[in-house]
Amino acid sequence: MNNAKMWLVVKPTVGVPLFLTAVAVGSFSVHLAVLRNTTWVPAFLQGKPKAKAASIEVPGGVPGSNAVVMFQGTDAAGVVVLPDGRTARVTFDAPAQTAALLPGAK
Amino acid sequence: MNYDPDKVWPSGLTLREAEELHRHIIDGTRVFGFFALLAHILAYFYSPWLG
Repeated sequence: MNNAKMWLVVKPTVGVPLFLTAVAVGSFSVHLAVLRNTTWVPAFLQGKPKAKAASIEVPGGVPGSNAVVMFQGTDAAGVVVLPDGRTARVTFDAPAQTAALLPGAK
Repeated sequence: MNYDPDKVWPSGLTLREAEELHRHIIDGTRVFGFFALLAHILAYFYSPWLG
């Protein structure tokens, strides 16, 4: 409490907001410095890509129970999960090659 | 050096009012310090900080 006498000289309506602003500016600049100078803070903020899922109608399957393709990271590889739980790892070709495989393609 | 308790200083406060205000400033600083300490502990354990 030995600093209490500062308020005999500094008006609280000036001193208190100044003090709080100084702490905020200090805290903000430290966070900014850490954000700029580390790799793990931006990585933390970026997070991991959520596995995108595509639902595929399984002919003859129970209505509403589709196979699901879980893409991990890139769109080229994924895991197909059949309604009965069986899975398969798949690697997708580029769109141009796939077109050639489709029935009726010239 | 003992101060006249009723003297109003340039800031418009008496010594008792100044000490009352400063007590709140100290309490607030301690609360801020507690949260900062907690954040640093969590950062220490859950981030690559300090190896």
